[in-house]
Amino acid sequence: MTHSLHRRGTEESLKDDYVLLVTSAYGFNHEGSKDKMRKVLEEVFAEEPANIGSYDTGTILSGVDIQEIRDALNDVPRVRCSFSTKEKMLAVLKKIKELDQGMSVTVSGLTEEVLDMAKELEIKPHCINLSLEVWGNVEKLPSEEVLELVTMCGHGLISSGLVEDCIEKVKKGRMTTRDAAIKISHPCVCGIYNPDRAEKLLEKYVPLKEEELA
Amino acid sequence: MRIDQEKCSGCGICIPYCPANAITIVNKKAQIDEDECFECGNCSRIRVVRCPKKAFFEQPGLYEGTRAARKFFSDPMTTHSVTKIPGRGTEEVKTNDVTGRVVRGQIGIAIEMGRPCLGTNMEQVEQMTVALGKLGIEFEEMNPLTHLMEDREKGTIKPEYMNEKMVSAIIEFGIPVSQMVPVMDVIKEVAKELDTVFSLDMIYRFEEDGSLPIVPVLEEMGIRVRKNSKVNLGLGRPVVTR
Ligand code: SF4
Ligand code: SF4
Repeated sequence: MTHSLHRRGTEESLKDDYVLLVTSAYGFNHEGSKDKMRKVLEEVFAEEPANIGSYDTGTILSGVDIQEIRDALNDVPRVRCSFSTKEKMLAVLKKIKELDQGMSVTVSGLTEEVLDMAKELEIKPHCINLSLEVWGNVEKLPSEEVLELVTMCGHGLISSGLVEDCIEKVKKGRMTTRDAAIKISHPCVCGIYNPDRAEKLLEKYVPLKEEELA
Repeated sequence: MRIDQEKCSGCGICIPYCPANAITIVNKKAQIDEDECFECGNCSRIRVVRCPKKAFFEQPGLYEGTRAARKFFSDPMTTHSVTKIPGRGTEEVKTNDVTGRVVRGQIGIAIEMGRPCLGTNMEQVEQMTVALGKLGIEFEEMNPLTHLMEDREKGTIKPEYMNEKMVSAIIEFGIPVSQMVPVMDVIKEVAKELDTVFSLDMIYRFEEDGSLPIVPVLEEMGIRVRKNSKVNLGLGRPVVTR
């Protein structure tokens, strides 16, 4: 269950971050859907997603190529990826609509922006999964800055320890923000983590001066 | 998960990756606290941790005992044996246009216990499911957690699973809109007693005119609806029109 709706962050930061999921429904339309999903995958890939992957292989950011993702589509096939601009997301949705393969399509992002895209493409959205925040013993959670990166993996596999470790290295000038953004991406195997957004989030950690490090 | 002590060089690369903080260096070798380990598989993946000594291995018999629950709830690279859905076992809003699980007049609720960051054990999950059981909730059949229940009406978990821990476990059910207020009140009450956290979702079918009348009701109850969400665009077939 890719909980892409629980990405934390400001509206400013979330507006360049969209997650696309194309899913066959087990027991309803999964049979014989592999070829349909391959077609969808090709169109999606042509629009250069920020990240794409699969449960079976891992992501392009960890060294998997699209052929591997294509070959590994299983009997309940699905496409998972992220885009960094509304324009690209819109272009992909337009193609998927034209392809008309009958697979379920969800987009996660700022609700207003997603509904705006649907309107432009004359698509009537079916339903919505609203994020109603985090409850319970929230005092035990790491800082909001860490949560913004951690919650980009919908399966909770990016540990706060990894994010903190990478932030520390960026501060010490031992890692670039891009390298940190990619390293943090690796545990997110299905490919909904957005490295472009991560890089922007990490840019606030400029390397400290030598005297500050001492 | 286990680490072959002969192979491990104690380099420590794997330590920050573990979402359970279960890996430590003892006598210059990495060791896993098996009680804390979620069996998420992160550390053993060749494209994630890339252990230079390929020292990680799954314990024999992992899929046969109750510990398998850790694996199925934590590792998206497994397919759950009950729901046959890859990932962690439910499709909630993702295929609702095809399955029609949540129709107009109803809402779907998902409570993802342990998420973000803290993980959960079954005891905390049961705190929530038992409280909901008292309201007569019918838990979702296509959700793996429901299959670990001893008594689905009461919401009790099979005792043999009580010591299992996982990245998260999703409690999922549908209710009529009219039941929303008492259900949310119970969820809010249990939240106060928990040692972990949960992320709360609500699935709602757009009205014919595209509106979401549920949002102001939630806000009136003091429940914040975040600006980002997941929208099912209704491109699946057969589209469920109810
Ligand atoms: S990465 Fe491998 S070799 Fe290094 S400490 Fe971890 S288990 Fe040992
Ligand atoms: S399987 Fe997951 S929880 Fe267990 S030691 Fe490895 S990374 Fe940590």
